[in-house]
Amino acid sequence: MKTKLLSLAVAAAILSTGTASADQLEDIKARGTLICGTLGTAEPFSFADPQTRQIVGYDIDLCQAIADDLGVKMEAKPISVEARIPELVQGRIDIVAGNLGYTPERAEQIDYTTSYFVSLQKLLVKEGSAFDTIDSLAESRISAPKGSSSERYVREVLPQASLLTFQDPPSAFLALAQSKVDAMILSEINAEKFIAQTGESFRFVEQPVAEEYWGLGVRKNEEAFLQQVNVTLKRLEDSGEGEAIFDKWLGQETVYKLSKPFKFDTPVSDPVLRPAL
Amino acid sequence: MGYEFDFSSVLTDQYIDWLISGVRITLLLTAGAWIIAFVIAVVLAVLRATNFRPAVWLVAVFVEVHQNIPLLVQVLFWYFAMPELLPEAWRDWLVRNNSEFILAMIAIAMCTAAYMSEALRSGLRAVPVTQYEAGRSFGFNYLQTMSYIVVPQALRLSVPPMVNHSLLLFKNTSIAMAIGVHELTYQTRQIDSDTFRTFEVFLVATGLYLVLSFIIMFVGNLIERRFSMGTR
Amino acid sequence: MLEIVQNNWTLLLVGQYPAGPLGGIVATLLLAIAGLALAFPFAILLAVARLSPYRWVNWPATAVVNIVRGMPFLMVIFWSYFALPILIGRPLSGFWTLVGALVLYESAYLAEIIRAGIQALPRGQEEAARSLGFGYFRTLTFVILPQALYNSLPALIGQFVSLIKETSLGYVISVNEFTYAASQLNSQLLVRPVEVFSILAITYFIVCFALTQSARWVEQRIARTRQGKSSGMQIQTNPLATEPMP
Repeated sequence: MKTKLLSLAVAAAILSTGTASADQLEDIKARGTLICGTLGTAEPFSFADPQTRQIVGYDIDLCQAIADDLGVKMEAKPISVEARIPELVQGRIDIVAGNLGYTPERAEQIDYTTSYFVSLQKLLVKEGSAFDTIDSLAESRISAPKGSSSERYVREVLPQASLLTFQDPPSAFLALAQSKVDAMILSEINAEKFIAQTGESFRFVEQPVAEEYWGLGVRKNEEAFLQQVNVTLKRLEDSGEGEAIFDKWLGQETVYKLSKPFKFDTPVSDPVLRPAL
Repeated sequence: MGYEFDFSSVLTDQYIDWLISGVRITLLLTAGAWIIAFVIAVVLAVLRATNFRPAVWLVAVFVEVHQNIPLLVQVLFWYFAMPELLPEAWRDWLVRNNSEFILAMIAIAMCTAAYMSEALRSGLRAVPVTQYEAGRSFGFNYLQTMSYIVVPQALRLSVPPMVNHSLLLFKNTSIAMAIGVHELTYQTRQIDSDTFRTFEVFLVATGLYLVLSFIIMFVGNLIERRFSMGTR
Repeated sequence: MLEIVQNNWTLLLVGQYPAGPLGGIVATLLLAIAGLALAFPFAILLAVARLSPYRWVNWPATAVVNIVRGMPFLMVIFWSYFALPILIGRPLSGFWTLVGALVLYESAYLAEIIRAGIQALPRGQEEAARSLGFGYFRTLTFVILPQALYNSLPALIGQFVSLIKETSLGYVISVNEFTYAASQLNSQLLVRPVEVFSILAITYFIVCFALTQSARWVEQRIARTRQGKSSGMQIQTNPLATEPMP
């Protein structure tokens, strides 16, 4: 016990000096790579292409654009939903592009870039189940990915519901598909692919639980780097390149059939719980 | 600047509640799995001692399968795959009754049973054959000899490894977190992702695990001493 | 099931390599090998320290062993994950995070195996060496440890199997290894968990069972070579030391 406390004290001492040292933007340029943390299991944002086994997707293309503007290589590092903020804070990755919704609690830990997606968080239930409003699920069992913002929304909106969290979104979905839970909370967009793949029938509870703004996450107090990423996002917005990336993964040609409902240069803001339709 | 330890943001009423319920589930899981594991282990050890070929062979397969697959994989298998193989009615019952807890308990129990049965087997082998013969010459039948004379002695000889496997069982309940059982490790990570006070919450959780482990070790030691005095 | 293996055997074998990080069963084996190799020196130190007559040497070693024995391996993994990068002052890959956890955890368990091996040697061995004028350290390195390690070989192979099984827990911190590869596959296929987890379980079984059997074979060989030389040399493995993680 003693040795452990001692090592912790050492750890704490290093923590205070280690992270705030050099300017991150310079570090990245000197290193020549931008390390981008992505989920790797969230189609179409970042997922392993079955053919090449490489990680591809919307998040990856955005990271690539940022790396291109910096004139460095991009390296995608797979991280779990709940590891997104710790990995970033501890400096293992430079930026998080991983379905990271804005919440005030998270904004105390990290800085957000301007928006890169706006998502509706909804409850998914099995077709034929009796649940059709948010309140009808008040005492039910709901699955969510561990450490996700969705998990928090459920706790706020349905405090009586019992929440089961899983390592990744597909596992949480599998629990619903196997009827181990009554509903799953997830962003509308992530659900599409799951539903398409199972061939079983699911439906959404129509009213969204929350509307949230996704930003890319960077470490606190790295103004130069944050500015640089926002410049890239603005450039993507103005040049139409951003729209092209959006359309490639989420547009009319894809199963999601979306048209870009947001601008890359709007600042992220608080999630709206139970937004009106 | 320095890393400021801030236990107060971890030890609020709400989070203490979470930790307590985590400890409760961990202990329930440990107790439930231990009882199941012990019963299965005794049955397996006795079956193996019968020298009836198919039984011996079946027990050996059970033991090898459970000892050579990671427990996490066994837990994932029981949770995600096994219910698919069950009849509809059973599956419905499971779903209505905290399937993650029950399935984690079964998975951990089966795995521990394999190890415990081996511990009992070496205990059984260490009981001199003359003890068995003496039992039979008293007019006891096989089952009576086993349950009144041989098994109690074997149990005594197996106490140290049994204590060890009980401790491992307790520690292994943390793996149930992977399928969403709200035990101590699960609650710890939940508090961590709520407060971001990683060091504080993990220090508290580690402390809780250590205290409980030391209690198990201490009680185990007492039992060991008691039984070893009895034999000498 | 076969068709899943046919379509995804590269993912299961090597993960995303060479397009991405090495993963799959190959990474699992490398993790276990690296963990065992790096834990070994620490284990020997701990074992020797545990047997030291000096309290200030054996007491801390005993404390370390007991603390590690009291902690779930998952907790050790999380500590390695949060604290190790801070301790060494730079980010660590998932691979080395897990190796760090394995080294910490296994050092304690291996130390107990080695200690049991040393204690099982007849005292005459040490006395003979000392009477030949060997000092403490020469006695240890040339007489005691070689025999103790040789006798513990089966238990050490058994421990390697434990390491392989323990690496599966890297899954919870997204380390690229076999269980993680299977979970990636599971999220791709989504509705075929029975097959995916069966493949996972069967593969682990084949690898670990082969190793367990070879440990038994080695055990018998050692017993045979030892027979006659000195009866009663049967190594009494400390039951507390084996199989930390089923």
